[in-house]
Amino acid sequence: MAGVELTGVRKIYPNGAEAVRGVDMTIEHGEFIVFVGPSGCGKSTLLRMVAGLESITEGEISIDGRIINEVSPADRDVAMVFQNYALYPHMTVRGNMSYGLKNRGNSKAEIHEKVEEAAKMLRIHDFLDRRPQQLSGGQRQRVAMGRAIVREPKVFLFDEPLSNLDAKLRVQMRIEIKRLQRRMDVTSIYVTHDQTEAMTLADRLAVINDGRIEQMGAPLELYNNPTTLFVASFIGSPQINLVPVVFDGDKLISGDIALSGFKDLPTDADLVLGIRPDDLTQNGEGEVSLRVDLVEQHGAENLIYGALLGAAAEEGEETEICIKVDQQTLPKIDATLKLGVNKSRALVFRKDNGQRVL
Amino acid sequence: MTTPQALRSGYNHLVLILGVIFLVGPIALTFLSSTHTSATLARDSLQFSWGGHFLDNYSRVLTLEAGFTDSVTPLAMLKNSLIVGLGVATLTTGFSILSAYAVVFFRFKIAALVFWLVLVTLLFPLEARFVNTFEVAASLGLINTHAGIILPAVAAAIGTFFYRQYFLTLPEELLEAAIMDGTGPVKFFIDFIIPLSWPRTAAIFIISFMIGWNQYLWPLMISTDDSLYTLVRGIRLIGPTSGPGMALVIITIIPPFLLLLAFQKWAFNTLHVEQK
Repeated sequence: MAGVELTGVRKIYPNGAEAVRGVDMTIEHGEFIVFVGPSGCGKSTLLRMVAGLESITEGEISIDGRIINEVSPADRDVAMVFQNYALYPHMTVRGNMSYGLKNRGNSKAEIHEKVEEAAKMLRIHDFLDRRPQQLSGGQRQRVAMGRAIVREPKVFLFDEPLSNLDAKLRVQMRIEIKRLQRRMDVTSIYVTHDQTEAMTLADRLAVINDGRIEQMGAPLELYNNPTTLFVASFIGSPQINLVPVVFDGDKLISGDIALSGFKDLPTDADLVLGIRPDDLTQNGEGEVSLRVDLVEQHGAENLIYGALLGAAAEEGEETEICIKVDQQTLPKIDATLKLGVNKSRALVFRKDNGQRVL
Repeated sequence: MTTPQALRSGYNHLVLILGVIFLVGPIALTFLSSTHTSATLARDSLQFSWGGHFLDNYSRVLTLEAGFTDSVTPLAMLKNSLIVGLGVATLTTGFSILSAYAVVFFRFKIAALVFWLVLVTLLFPLEARFVNTFEVAASLGLINTHAGIILPAVAAAIGTFFYRQYFLTLPEELLEAAIMDGTGPVKFFIDFIIPLSWPRTAAIFIISFMIGWNQYLWPLMISTDDSLYTLVRGIRLIGPTSGPGMALVIITIIPPFLLLLAFQKWAFNTLHVEQK
């Protein structure tokens, strides 16, 4: 059974702005898909097109084989959780959860049963008779999810549902959403700009940039094998280190730095070397050196930020890089560290079009 | 409490007390004057003291039978005033909420233009267009009818404006969530707009009730029949400077005041603390 299928989907607004530029995607039944990308990339528009809140300019969207382009949002069998929850302020929690069911003509007993069940699952049973204003942010979030759950939709849509919560609650709700989705086995599409959320929640994630899918795949696949510079720099925290380089047929050169051990790379183009902070290790015979600028202590590990010495400077700016070390390593500011590069994990991109060449 | 704070607090109270005196003074003066004989009032003008003719004046008003066929009684006038007041209030509120709903939620192309046209009518109060309005009312056969008194006062742009400002504060997602829950335009109006706007509605209802209730000039023009006398017009009939006239003024104030008391929680909340 297919879940959601998007074919050549485009969105062009009446003013000519193109928000979605041709998206093809197949989402399997029960899959948790995350759309991730910077703000304004079109990810929310895409989600809202699935929801029916935006018209589809071109292409087709189908759910379970039924094309829904012209189907009204209420009849698409989808439920959405909004960023600001969009709870109905004049109704109680119970009222909020039953409203959609009532409109669908469910019987009173049926509604009661479904609401009770969802409330139990979400642990909001104690405030079923309260109004949204009397609830905390986390509780409102649960109610918003409850409202979606009782409908037993074919597809759950989440539009940045955690961005209004504080950090601790966000992590907690993230785990809960994932657990819930597993348990209910409902196809879900989740939009976020937070790459940690994206990585942790997704079965597969789609990195969206400028209205197009830059790359789609399992989180680790995207982390290890990004096909473009954009994906490499968007996925991973702290961000991947990027060093402008050229290839001389044998070595990657950046200013005074020369890294050997590379071959079959284009020599006629500017390249960018990408190395994740985990793939740089402190090492006495290292090939590159870092002048410590800042040490961030995260508890289990420290992040050291600093200038990559000798690297080709762009417009007078030194190339800043970051490495991950254990909690005991606390170098002094301005100290110089020798670093070894894990070349088997190095990524090389063309600078002009961002495509990966190694 | 330190001295400067006490001073400021005292000063604030002084300003408030003066304000209360300024607002309540005329009513108190009217009430006290309504306990004097017409002769006293004619000789010594308005009175600040208790006159002892309270019962005389008020019973005179309550048993009044005036007009060509004695059909102008307090009860008949009260009935007319209520019909006009409630009529104006109900229709104004209804039209206001519907027009604001249309202008805000149905993005037809000329919505902004329509809204501003509605607002411009504020610049043409009824008094400024009496002659034309009379012509229209006459051609529709509304002379000497309740409808004739009510309808021209119904187009109150201020109500549309009030509702519109409130609707604009409702988050877009509320509508979207409702749409996904299977709500259409009519259902959204009934299930969301009406319950969410209750406080606004109370405020607009009271204000337009008072506009209808206090009408004087227009009813005077459009109705010549004794059976359409309202309380406000009755004051003129009974003699505004007489003791019973003062009594009727006080009686006339009571129904709108009761309405205000009944709705005050909702109405004042809207007018003072705009929602957080």
